Amino acid sequence: MEKLVQKIIQLRWVIIISVLVITAFLGYQIKYLTVNSDILSTLPDDDPKAHLYMDIGDEFGGNDMGMIVLETDDIFKKEVLEHIKQITDSIKITNGVASVTSLTNILDIKSSEWGIEIGKLVDEYDLPDKKSKLDSLKKYVFSKEMYKGAVVSEDGTATIILYTLLPDADVQDAAKEIKNKVETMNLTETLYYGGLPFMLNDITDLILKDMLWLIPIVFVIIAFILLFSFRSFRGMLLPLLTAGITVIWTLGLMTIIGYELTIISNIIPVVLLAIGSAYTIHVLNSINLNTLKDRKQALIKAMSYTMIPVILASVTTAIGFISFIFGAYLTMIREFGICTAIGILIALLLSVFFVPAIISALSMYRKDTGKVKEKKHNIMSQFILQPLTKILFNYPKTVLTIWSIILLLSIGGIFLINTSVNIADYFQKDNSTRISEDVLQNKFGGSLPTFVLFEGDIQEPEVLKMMIKTEKFMKEDPNISTANSVANLVEQMNNAMGEGVKIPDEKAKIEQLWFLLDGQDVMQQLVSDDLDKGIIQSKFASIETQEIEEYTQKMDKFIQENTNNNFDVKFTGTPSLYVNLNSSLVKSQYSSLIIAIIMVLLIVGIIMRSVSKGVYATIPIIATILFLLGIMGVIGIPLDIATVLVGSIALGIGIDYSIHVISGFNAHMKENGDVNTAIKKTIMTTGKAVIINVTSVAAGFLVLLLAQIVPLQNFGLLIAISMFGSGLGALTLLPVILILANKKHKITAN
Amino acid sequence: MKSVIYSTIIFALICAVSISAHAQDANAILKKMDDVMYAPKDLTGTNKIVLIDKNGKQETRKAYIKQKGTDKRIMRFTSPASQEGIAVLGLPNDIMYLYLPAFGKERRISASVKNQNFAGTDFSYDDMEPKPYSEKYTPKFLKTEGNMYLLELTPKGRSDYSKIIAYINKTNYYPELMEYFDKGNNKIKEAKYIFKKVGNYWNASEINMTNLKKNHTTKMQMENVKYDNGLSDDEFTVRKLKQ
Repeated sequence: MEKLVQKIIQLRWVIIISVLVITAFLGYQIKYLTVNSDILSTLPDDDPKAHLYMDIGDEFGGNDMGMIVLETDDIFKKEVLEHIKQITDSIKITNGVASVTSLTNILDIKSSEWGIEIGKLVDEYDLPDKKSKLDSLKKYVFSKEMYKGAVVSEDGTATIILYTLLPDADVQDAAKEIKNKVETMNLTETLYYGGLPFMLNDITDLILKDMLWLIPIVFVIIAFILLFSFRSFRGMLLPLLTAGITVIWTLGLMTIIGYELTIISNIIPVVLLAIGSAYTIHVLNSINLNTLKDRKQALIKAMSYTMIPVILASVTTAIGFISFIFGAYLTMIREFGICTAIGILIALLLSVFFVPAIISALSMYRKDTGKVKEKKHNIMSQFILQPLTKILFNYPKTVLTIWSIILLLSIGGIFLINTSVNIADYFQKDNSTRISEDVLQNKFGGSLPTFVLFEGDIQEPEVLKMMIKTEKFMKEDPNISTANSVANLVEQMNNAMGEGVKIPDEKAKIEQLWFLLDGQDVMQQLVSDDLDKGIIQSKFASIETQEIEEYTQKMDKFIQENTNNNFDVKFTGTPSLYVNLNSSLVKSQYSSLIIAIIMVLLIVGIIMRSVSKGVYATIPIIATILFLLGIMGVIGIPLDIATVLVGSIALGIGIDYSIHVISGFNAHMKENGDVNTAIKKTIMTTGKAVIINVTSVAAGFLVLLLAQIVPLQNFGLLIAISMFGSGLGALTLLPVILILANKKHKITAN
Repeated sequence: MKSVIYSTIIFALICAVSISAHAQDANAILKKMDDVMYAPKDLTGTNKIVLIDKNGKQETRKAYIKQKGTDKRIMRFTSPASQEGIAVLGLPNDIMYLYLPAFGKERRISASVKNQNFAGTDFSYDDMEPKPYSEKYTPKFLKTEGNMYLLELTPKGRSDYSKIIAYINKTNYYPELMEYFDKGNNKIKEAKYIFKKVGNYWNASEINMTNLKKNHTTKMQMENVKYDNGLSDDEFTVRKLKQ
């Protein structure tokens, strides 16, 4: 080990220059890093429901559907209609827009004694202006299921303007342009922007905003803590420098691999700043504590002493992240796991090679050893570490009992954990997207699109009749208020031909009714060009997991009972995806935790060459995870796409503290063979690094409380809690276990 | 110096004259185009409609057409089989009837949907209307380009278009190209014409209308055209529609 360190010192300039060159190269790559805010695009391809949902979105344009809700005291007023027309007209001529549908241009099929009027609901060139005309329009709109609650809210105070985009259009550009145009109209009504295009736009903005202002804050906070702890410029600079370079390398590599920033991966810099600085902290701490006069020799000694624990710590942390590769449902979580694991390994390489190289190259050895050390000795040792040692040795059983009680309570709390998969919940309450979603929810029966896909000859009476039957069945559910398909249009046309609101029994009649429907904008959203696929579009009002689950089960059963060889029916929609996402959150939580625990146990055991020490090291961290999950249950932080990551990350980072304590204990045991002295020494030396480390990592993650996306806030809070938990576990629970275990069987060094 | 002033004045005069000449020209050119397009008293023929989607997939329909003057027309589909017998009757004052043989019934269709596409084609009801352009649009002369006059046509009444740029053949006054612009001044459609002389008249033997947004094209070909058959008004009644 010492030879390696000597080699590093010898090649210090080579190392430093290579690091700088690589940093410059990868830093330049970051320029090309793009943001992908589309959560749907990270759905797994192997989930049939997700696949079907994406296919339907592509074929019928649903994924790119944007909506504007206009709210006022009464929609049926001349000036309000004028404004709706104004918005409609301006969206219509926006680049990339395929169609726009609103109260002022929606197609209306009226039948009368003399014939059919396939016209507009409202004459856009001659908007109704008199009270009588407006009243009759209102009466007509509320008499038709197609409009009531779908185009105009049931209370008549809000209306939806819906648009779809061309296949090759840039979803976000179009959304941005539309929002700008509408906003410059300065309309008196309240406007809300909803649907995926606006949501994506919003998320992208949030991701970039978070990136741009959270990173500097984390930087400053960690710098402050380091300065306060080490009381030296070097102590502040080196951890931050390595962490900063780690972030640049990781983002650069991400760009080269072709990954994009998502609402999860945008926290990679924060995670790496917090964790990446830790290894250097331990390296520096070890150098500081070495009292050899020859500072070069001191560096070599210190490095060889910390090398193993630092490698161990980073590998176990990386494992925590790698465990997402196996358990995650969303590809963006998988990518996050891979990238962060890579980042951790980069941080390891830098702290092992780059830090000693730069210390020796710039002669940044500690100059004063006496005074400052004395001072620190006073604050941290006197008020925290010494009293701690006393308590541990005098009342080991009490400490163990307290931990046991906390853990029992936590296990109870775990049963209270909820899951949250509704994307709207991910925004803060005052966020405009969240507000829009709430309005859509309240006024228009929700915004969770559900689809039933029919495959077969869509012009067959049998298929159309089944569509109508399915719609009726769907509407029996209190959460479904509207359902639309081409079958409704055929029924209306049939009625217009004087044969009643029903699907004709002869295919020939359907084909001829089609003559008038053909080429209408709405047809593209309902039927495929080849007439071999048709969909029922509907919306689900509830976001309660249980209601969603009941509905999906009911639909699957209905479809199974009602299909035959002539056509195929499939059912999907955001609710179905939420159910899958939900169960996958719970599943991946357990699987990634179990994978991580087993791998950590193995690695620690192998490197320490002792099964019992491997078990000892994992005890505090398992306790921490139980505590963490208990807290989530008790204070009501749900399991979501971000908080599902916490368990494994906490395990990966938290295990470091135990590793440092165990390996410190091992080293001191080698020195004098007495367990109690070794424990005391470990707490006095390693304990300090652990406390600095806990504080800086926790502070780094607490900055996420300022993030715009709710899961990230929860994520930051939970990681901070688990850092305190695992730090405390490593410095109380672990020593107590060692003390008590030693009383039974003498522990030996290895 | 004097000569410069004179020549400037003369130049200005020439310009002024030519501008007013163009203003007159624009109306005259459009009128001439209408005369070419709507000259025959009546016509009969077969209309082949080919729909071509963005992937190049084609779908063909055929209809038999009878037309008298600029405001009476009957269009009866002969293929595909599912549409055989469907007939549309257009009468003056935007009155339109549709006959669906499977129902054995006709229905009057309101004409407030002129900007809607006609039966899955890229032609709107508005585009299909055999009404003279000079009645619907105010022309403005833009320039001469090769063998063509370029006119900018602004709709007089309701329209989804902000303008149409018409490329009109200088010698024979039939349109060769029409470009349609939406109200945001984006070119959204274009129609390419091929005219052939049939008897005494120029006939639009093929019109290629492309929706530039959807990348969808409709090719309308006229075959077996016969002019001045002496069709009577009785040919254009609801009773005839149902036969």
